[in-house]
Amino acid sequence: MIAVLGLLAGVVVGLLVRPEVPAVVEPYLPIAVVAALDAVFGGLRAMLDGIFVDKVFVVSFLSNVVVAALIVFLGDKLGVGSQLSTGVVVVLGIRIFSNAAAIRRHVFRA
Amino acid sequence: MSGDNVPQGDPGAEPEPKDAGAPRPDAPLPGAVRPEPEPEQTGRQRLAAGLWPPRFSRAQLIVALLLFVLGLGLAIQVRSNSDSSAPLRGARQEDLVRILDELDGRTKRLEDEKQKLDDQRKELQSSSNQAEEARKQTLERERQLGILAGTVAAQGPGITLRITDAKGQVRSDQLLDTLQELRAAGAEAIQINGVRVVAGSYFSDEGGGVAIDGKKITQAYEFRVIGKPQDLEPALNIPGGVVQTMEKEQATVAVTRSAKIVVDALRAAKQPDYARSSSP
Repeated sequence: MIAVLGLLAGVVVGLLVRPEVPAVVEPYLPIAVVAALDAVFGGLRAMLDGIFVDKVFVVSFLSNVVVAALIVFLGDKLGVGSQLSTGVVVVLGIRIFSNAAAIRRHVFRA
Repeated sequence: MSGDNVPQGDPGAEPEPKDAGAPRPDAPLPGAVRPEPEPEQTGRQRLAAGLWPPRFSRAQLIVALLLFVLGLGLAIQVRSNSDSSAPLRGARQEDLVRILDELDGRTKRLEDEKQKLDDQRKELQSSSNQAEEARKQTLERERQLGILAGTVAAQGPGITLRITDAKGQVRSDQLLDTLQELRAAGAEAIQINGVRVVAGSYFSDEGGGVAIDGKKITQAYEFRVIGKPQDLEPALNIPGGVVQTMEKEQATVAVTRSAKIVVDALRAAKQPDYARSSSP
């Protein structure tokens, strides 16, 4: 419950405060958000499976974000930034879908 | 790199739970520990238990913090993406460079075009100025020539010469001498009794009187002459000159200077029949 409230609070604060993102971070923000979403879905699934551990969630969340940003950064340096970020988004999307499928089975038994 | 806590060795082999809530044959994983001792609890029950009642456990707070960050990033990204006033905000560096290049080329092309049109405009302006200048000069010239040819009226300083010939002794040759004298003294426009005298004018004796260009004029010959009065009057008054000759014929001659003489007798412009301008 607290976690859901935290998410809502983040969205509200982001919409109201309009924080200025530093230009260095800006290109990595979308990919980092997608990676974080993947981690969140994974965590939700683990919770439904009854094997949720907060430490694992934190580590996976942070490492997901960092690795995704790192891949985009590397792609930019290599000149294949747009293709690589597309690839990252595709992979993360697939994982999100499979996790969502597991969550669906838990919640709807279907 | 694993984004979830599902115990899976490799991301490719995704173990899908065959039936929800069934106890999984888990391999011992350090992170995955069952919090509840009873394995019969379904996922739905766990979800409900997690949502209500709210528990301020360490795990909940940490997850809340991370989700707060996620929500923040999500909101920022959505906002900056939907910001239509800055469509280039999320563009990549190479795209920006390409767009900049295109803009540069476009600017250069437009700049060239502007330069060309400017030159053209300058050219047209100068040529129109020249045409205007030429027109003015032509007009000025037409006026000058008009005065000579007698097609326009003229005014200026000059003298009035009045010859009253009571005895009728003055003949055309004497009038011609007078005219020549005036011309030699620099007369620029002359009319005699309402007849404009020009280069082709001629005098003739007709009956008792005199005719200019075939037009008979009567006594009291009045010359209106435009020129420098200080030159014209002495030219007439020199010893043995016009005035003395006239007075020998018993005619009275009156010369008056005037600051404004109007020569308004006109003459139709005549196109020469044979002579053509030889200047190109």
